[in-house]
Amino acid sequence: MASESSDEGGNGYEPKILVFACNWCSYAGADLAGVSRLQMPANCRIIRVMCSGRVRPEFVVTALSKGLDGVLVLGCHPGECHYSEGNYFTRRRGLLLKNLLQFVGIEPERFQVRWVSASEGAKFADTVEQVTEQIRALGPNRPQGGMHSTEPGDR
Amino acid sequence: MPKTRVGVFVCHCGNNIGGVVRVPEVVEYARTLPNVACVEDNLYTCSEEGLSSIREQIAEHGLNRVVVASCTPRTHEPLFREACEQAGLNKYLFEFVNIREHCSWVHMHDPAMATQKAKELVRMGVAKARFLEPQEEFESSVFPAALVIGGGVAGMTAALGLANQGIQVHLVERDQELGGLIREVRTLFPAGQATEEVLQPLAEQVRNHRQITVHLGSEVEDVGGFIGDFDVAVKADGQVNNLKVGAVIVATGAEELKPTGLYRYSELGNVVTQLEFEERFKRGADVPRDVVIINCVGARIPERTYCGRFCCTTAIKNAIWIKEREPEASVFVLHRDVMAYGVQIEESYRRAMELGVRFLRYDPENPPQILGDGRAEAVRVQHQLMGKEIVLPAELVVLTTPLVARDDNPRLSKMLKVPLGGEGFFLEAHLKLRPIEFSTDGVYVCGSARYPANIPESVSQAYASAAKASIPIREGVVRAEAITALCDERTCSACGNCVEVCPFGAVELQEGRFGRTAQVNPAQCKGCGCCVAACPSGAMQQSGFNDRQLLSMIGALAEEMTGGVGE
Amino acid sequence: MEDKLQELVVELLGDGAMEYFIGYRQGFEPSHVVPCFVTDKSEADRLIWGPLCLQNLSKYVLQARDLDGKVGLLVKGCDARAIVELVKQHQIERDKIVVVGVPCEGQVDPRKMEQVLGVSMEQVTDVEDAGDEFLVKVGGEVSKLGKEQVLRDKCFYCKHPTSFDYDYTLGEVQPFTIDSESEEYDAVEKLEELPLEERRAYWLKQFERCIRCNACREVCYGCYCKECIFDRTDPRWLDRTPLPRENEIYHLIRAVHLAGRCIDCGECERVCPVNIPLGRLYKKLQKDIAELFDYEAGMEYDTVPPLVDFELDDQDPFL
Repeated sequence: MASESSDEGGNGYEPKILVFACNWCSYAGADLAGVSRLQMPANCRIIRVMCSGRVRPEFVVTALSKGLDGVLVLGCHPGECHYSEGNYFTRRRGLLLKNLLQFVGIEPERFQVRWVSASEGAKFADTVEQVTEQIRALGPNRPQGGMHSTEPGDR
Repeated sequence: MPKTRVGVFVCHCGNNIGGVVRVPEVVEYARTLPNVACVEDNLYTCSEEGLSSIREQIAEHGLNRVVVASCTPRTHEPLFREACEQAGLNKYLFEFVNIREHCSWVHMHDPAMATQKAKELVRMGVAKARFLEPQEEFESSVFPAALVIGGGVAGMTAALGLANQGIQVHLVERDQELGGLIREVRTLFPAGQATEEVLQPLAEQVRNHRQITVHLGSEVEDVGGFIGDFDVAVKADGQVNNLKVGAVIVATGAEELKPTGLYRYSELGNVVTQLEFEERFKRGADVPRDVVIINCVGARIPERTYCGRFCCTTAIKNAIWIKEREPEASVFVLHRDVMAYGVQIEESYRRAMELGVRFLRYDPENPPQILGDGRAEAVRVQHQLMGKEIVLPAELVVLTTPLVARDDNPRLSKMLKVPLGGEGFFLEAHLKLRPIEFSTDGVYVCGSARYPANIPESVSQAYASAAKASIPIREGVVRAEAITALCDERTCSACGNCVEVCPFGAVELQEGRFGRTAQVNPAQCKGCGCCVAACPSGAMQQSGFNDRQLLSMIGALAEEMTGGVGE
Repeated sequence: MEDKLQELVVELLGDGAMEYFIGYRQGFEPSHVVPCFVTDKSEADRLIWGPLCLQNLSKYVLQARDLDGKVGLLVKGCDARAIVELVKQHQIERDKIVVVGVPCEGQVDPRKMEQVLGVSMEQVTDVEDAGDEFLVKVGGEVSKLGKEQVLRDKCFYCKHPTSFDYDYTLGEVQPFTIDSESEEYDAVEKLEELPLEERRAYWLKQFERCIRCNACREVCYGCYCKECIFDRTDPRWLDRTPLPRENEIYHLIRAVHLAGRCIDCGECERVCPVNIPLGRLYKKLQKDIAELFDYEAGMEYDTVPPLVDFELDDQDPFL
């Protein structure tokens, strides 16, 4: 992986992860994690969307190509979508996109989809923790053109 | 267009945010962001002091976008939107940034990272805010009438619930008579009163109600439109009658499973279902002397995993009925488990045993067998406690089967654009919080159409659905949050992806000024944005969550990485 | 076959059954075949058919949208799938097109042929189908090339040598054998087997070469959007000027847009001036769509495209 041969990896590296969370389940789950004061790494930045089905794959591709270290899409569990069907499209799209990204050599950990319900504050925290650690282990994302995460402390 | 002027309000939330996130640092940072005209921090932005400060700053700085960085939009967005509105700013020009639940509360031990994260979240919020646009909420009127599909207990109760509020109701019943499934039932649990005693007065009230039009022998042929404005075609005797209603209640019930192929049902004349048993004795047949009742027939099996919920009750009721009329009769109930929940059912279970009804548990792996030629003569079953097979004489075998979804549920589900669950029953919007609503506005469900429901359950669901359906009708208008989808007809190429994904049937391909394009009916759109994600050209967009807004957030987050402002 | 085609076109134009016909004619050199639009009976004799009739003509039928009458089209089996998709995606009414199905016994990949012959295609004066092989004329000399040497990749696993939904057909395909073991997804699978980093290196090398001429997009039947997302200014998905570092975004987004649409006509790869193996990218999606969602584009009129459809029990690794 990139970090092994990289001088930018190492101890100070903090990945930056974009999270899409649906308003009704996952964003609420994230709120619950907060209300429950569940501590987690501070690498994720949430964009709220009404439904995970709103997340067009172009967002994921663009985010990774712009050098963000990972993208996590969170939606309601299948069968529990506020809009009844939106996350089924997320699921199909996610399956295909994950494979496609992997096919062009992008580590599968960098794009993940998970289902987090409004009552799963703990699952939200665990997911953030897991995904952050997985991506931290990969080291900085190096999209085409050699962009990379900034050095720690440089922000 | 006036210059974009963003005001940013960073909340300390007492110590909740300020105790972790270095708020002054975030404030200073926010001042450096593009288009930011004013930044301030508040001890509590949601306090009257904070809110009036928002109003004042809007006036003083000519703000045309407001960003509050505080808690969660799920609880506080309406409050801040209202403050904007009071200051004359369209409420859709407000953007929320969550630095409490998603930041200070979950990174309590890392103020540096939390502060960094808060800055980036504010940067993303401001980036989106710059591209917010004022929105008008779509308002449409509601036609003051309702359609109730199904004239059983649930449907009749729902119809009365609406009609008694003065709302015009069309009650459509497929049969020539009101009453539904329980017309076939002889007596009702637990008091053993005749069904007619309950059914007749109810049907009478419905028939005589001035506000209710009963359509007997009729079926719903087609439903178009949306909340407030449904067009319904009802067919009776080949004649189609068009109705206009503002809300629809589905009360189509369910039917008893006819267990063909199980326990030699339909092969032997004296193997019957519970309903057939009831009907038989309603007609005054002699009470049999040896009866074996088999429970869970066709239920809780791989093909049909659910429990019928009140089949055990039915078996107990009928076992007692036999014993009360023919104390010498031998009545066996072969079961897998007895679901005698609550107070009354458990009591009846006890009473059945006192009357001499024998309950024997059978193993679904080794189910009872019907013996006999041409008619059932006995039932052989493995007695689990004795560990041996026993043979029970049987003059009559009664199979207890669950209610199953009606065959034409899929048709109705398509027409109404509401979903069915795996077992073919109608699927409510939320199992716990919205049990009698669909996610499609203006359509409600009650009774066994949703899943097997007994009479008290059907009645309370009917009350609930009537209450829910009456809200838009009595309000007279429905207003939708302006986060609906909108198609740019000039660039839409009508591929139809949006039409396919829309869970609400809100998008249609229609001929318009720019030829055939997708068009969104804002009254039906619920703002999920699925169509936007499915649109390859970007012609479809969602207000408040359009590509430009979201992409600018991504760009803002990736700023240090690309060395430029996204967008 | 050409005579039959020309006669049919004359007849259909004469009847007024169609306004014009789209087929192939010889270009500025014998080995170069170009699309041909026949509006008048007298021009029908320019129409040709052979193993160099490479283009997928389907995209041209979109022009018929503005006609009162119909457009006729010569359709190979592979390209017929594009017609199905265009109808399915509401781009054209089936009854606006007159499909003339042509039995295809394999198309030549000019790049392969140049390599095998060691001469440029300009020097090839004729290619004739002869069952299991092609008769290739270079400077008066005729040589035989086994089909397995020079066929386009997609022809190796062709499922529909003749259009399966035609209004007229020019006949049946004569059976022939290709001496090859190659399977439909060989190229994709070879890449899939590479270690991740090598795959990354492979694709970055490919994407780096892209000059963003948009030829792949322009030629693609599936790129019929009135305004391409990449041409939008609000928002701008890509920089105003084609930055090489955004090539990957371009190709991945294109791949995503064509997922479930791509019918493997191979036009993108054929027209790419820098030989990016785009087909492999799209083929990968086709493979996954077939495996995950049991869907193949362009086969049926009444199926829902896979990414705007779902099954309750779709595979779910995201729990």
